[in-house]
Amino acid sequence: MANLEFPWLGEQGAHDPRSVGGKAANLSLLAADFRVPPGFCIPSAAFDAVGPKSRDLDAREQDVWAPETEAGERFGALIGAAYSLLAGKTGTPEPGVAVRSSGIDEDGQSASLAGLHDTFLNVVGAHPIADAALKCLASAFTDRAIAYRRDRGIDERAAGLAVLVQYLVPADVSAVAFSADPVTGDRSQVVINANWGLGESVASGTVTPDTFTVSKTDMELSGTPVWDRTVSDKASMTVPVPGGVKEVNVPKMMRSMPCLDEGKATEIGQLAVALEQHMGYAVDVECAFMGDVLYLLQCRPVTTLA
Amino acid sequence: MDATQTAGGPSPPLPIPDNFPVTWESPTDEMAFWHIDPIHFPTTVTPAMEIFGDAFTKGLDRSFAAYEMPIRLQYRRINTYFYTGNSLPVPPDQLEAQGAKAEARLKEGVAAFPDRWENEWLPEVKEHLAFWDEFDLDGASPDALAEHFDQTRVRLARLWDIHFLLEVPAILSMSLFDEVFKDLLGEEDTLASYKLLQGQGNKTVDGGHGLWSLSKKALESEELRSAITDNPSEGVLPALSATAEGSEFADEFRRYLAEWGQRTDVFCELGSPSWEEDPSTPLTNLKDFMAQPDRDPEAELSLLAVEREKSVADARERLAGYPEEARNQFEFLLARAQSGTKLHEDHNYWIDQMSSNKVRQMVLGVGRRLAAAGSVDSANDVAYLTPNEIREAALSNGTGDRRTTVTERKAEMEHFGAIQPPPIGTPPPEGEPTDPMGIAMMKFFGARPKTSDSADVVSGNAGSPGKVTGTARIIRTLADADRLGQGDILVTTTTMPAWTPLFGTAAAVVTDAGGVLSHCAIVAREYGIPAVVGTGNGTTVVKDGQAVEVDGSAGEVRILA
Repeated sequence: MANLEFPWLGEQGAHDPRSVGGKAANLSLLAADFRVPPGFCIPSAAFDAVGPKSRDLDAREQDVWAPETEAGERFGALIGAAYSLLAGKTGTPEPGVAVRSSGIDEDGQSASLAGLHDTFLNVVGAHPIADAALKCLASAFTDRAIAYRRDRGIDERAAGLAVLVQYLVPADVSAVAFSADPVTGDRSQVVINANWGLGESVASGTVTPDTFTVSKTDMELSGTPVWDRTVSDKASMTVPVPGGVKEVNVPKMMRSMPCLDEGKATEIGQLAVALEQHMGYAVDVECAFMGDVLYLLQCRPVTTLA
Repeated sequence: MDATQTAGGPSPPLPIPDNFPVTWESPTDEMAFWHIDPIHFPTTVTPAMEIFGDAFTKGLDRSFAAYEMPIRLQYRRINTYFYTGNSLPVPPDQLEAQGAKAEARLKEGVAAFPDRWENEWLPEVKEHLAFWDEFDLDGASPDALAEHFDQTRVRLARLWDIHFLLEVPAILSMSLFDEVFKDLLGEEDTLASYKLLQGQGNKTVDGGHGLWSLSKKALESEELRSAITDNPSEGVLPALSATAEGSEFADEFRRYLAEWGQRTDVFCELGSPSWEEDPSTPLTNLKDFMAQPDRDPEAELSLLAVEREKSVADARERLAGYPEEARNQFEFLLARAQSGTKLHEDHNYWIDQMSSNKVRQMVLGVGRRLAAAGSVDSANDVAYLTPNEIREAALSNGTGDRRTTVTERKAEMEHFGAIQPPPIGTPPPEGEPTDPMGIAMMKFFGARPKTSDSADVVSGNAGSPGKVTGTARIIRTLADADRLGQGDILVTTTTMPAWTPLFGTAAAVVTDAGGVLSHCAIVAREYGIPAVVGTGNGTTVVKDGQAVEVDGSAGEVRILA
């Protein structure tokens, strides 16, 4: 049996996309230099023993984790051990996590499979995480997902498909930042969209976020780098609730309150600039503040730039 | 006046019915919208109540000005009814700017009111009350009495400044908390947020509990029990005085009245005796409580408190992963709304009840001189004089014949008492309020009742949760309250705090007027009985003796038979 160690983001073992998938490997590389929420990868091989029967495309069935089998028990114990470690790293007895697939076909540089594979947000506890991981894997074997891979010449059996289990930071504010204006292409400024709560409402466009424009040169000169601020009437936000996340109304008194102050907007601007320099291209950054701590959640190239 | 130049054009003034002639004091009066405040003044009021109308209006003006609110509310006695006149103090094009200013002021007000009440307003209220207690009404010279009357009016108006300075942010805080709770937790249950505010007790509830503990004591002795239960209300105190044990109990009852009996059956009415003067209502309550020996209202309240803490803990757990700013807002408003719930009742004891009794006793002092001089038949008739007439009576030491005036005024009240007072003046634009204070006031006074689809269902506002079936008792005055039996449904026009000991007897309460933040709804939640408030017509649609089902959460009363 393959090595069943679960590598952690930022560790050498999680840098290899062939083992942990493209998405996790990208985050792992970033985690070595930036503050990425802690998480561990369940490598493709770890599933072999617990029943990716679905990988036999002719005899596909819904994968169910059977904790009472010997293999299932071992799988559960590994998840349990990793979850305890995560609790220690986050300083939270029962941290909520996001369980996502991380595939070889998801290198973060091209069209992603997001939307085809199930993602489970705010999963709490080892047993539910094990369940979610198996369901996540199973979701890669729907007819649609298989056809998608076939059409793109990717291994239909999705060898190397891994699952990433990462701390879901209960964010006060989430933001998407562009190190170049995605509309005008202007590279002298960072454009930030932000809203209260988790990032889903910003990413999915269900709400008009606050917009901040931060000047790159003024940041270096430590002047007043926030050039422009448009505070919008933020009607809703995404929040973690038991068993998932939920879109709720923003209380009236918070709706027109800017969700970032100048200092925090500048900090996000600095992160975007650092990432741009690190990656060598203009970046699209997802990040979140919990208290005064800024977490990097995702970093991709700005795809709209010529 | 520019106030009418709104989009869509001004509404014309309402026609004035022939049986309700109105002469406006000033031409601009007709631009205001005048209507009855069905919670506080559903019936006719005596001419002396203009003392209060003046104090309410001044208090409202000064507190709205303090919070920069673009509302003007006046109280005026028209054809023997207290009318409230709503108008705009600023032109419509300035409303929004004024509204924004008010929002900022009100936010400060919500933050500060619990502390201001404790450290600033309540001490001042007590000082005013002491002023009346210290004055020798019967020994004063006519000049001193007239001067005391003037002082009374100034101090009364100041008490009503404080009343509204407190009530505006107190009611607003409960309304804002309800909104933040529903926004954040996506709760559908209309009454869910109020569980986090219940079981704190308050002066209204304490007044009821004081009677309960007297009822327990009375049940311990056969002698006391029979003196109270075997006699009609008016015979109870004489029967008690016949024995040493009874006299001791009667003294204890009088001490209760000294603390809790400075209220009148009819809200603020200067012509209505206080419980201290006429204890029939508390004696009826006492008898009712003695008929329920197994109940323990203090324990019931403690259970509500346990349920409150559980609801608070549950909400905090659900909010644990929410943005800090949202959790802070929740905690800020929870604390203010809890204070607001308590002070919404406590202030009524300290200001509404106490001040009306002090002013009544002051005016009665003049009444005694009038009666002694033969100017009126009884001291209580002084309530049928206007404020200026009362002052003049004080100055003249009661000389002159006022009996015809009193008789005419009583006849006038009787005449108009049979007429439904119509809304008059210029109606405001249609539509529900959208500003925070407008929304809060709607929760206090109640939204316009929805019309029910079924003839057997009366719809109102959800007031207090729970579903119960019982016999409807239509009770319009507290004098009629002895018809209410244990487990009956109290159906009435409005309940002010003097009514609330009946909540210990009733299985549920249904009112014509009020919203989820009305005294009735708040106190019903403290007694843990279902309430449907603001039905508009419950007292006329439901018939006395009918079996009805009250669903407090749905705000519906179903007539069963």
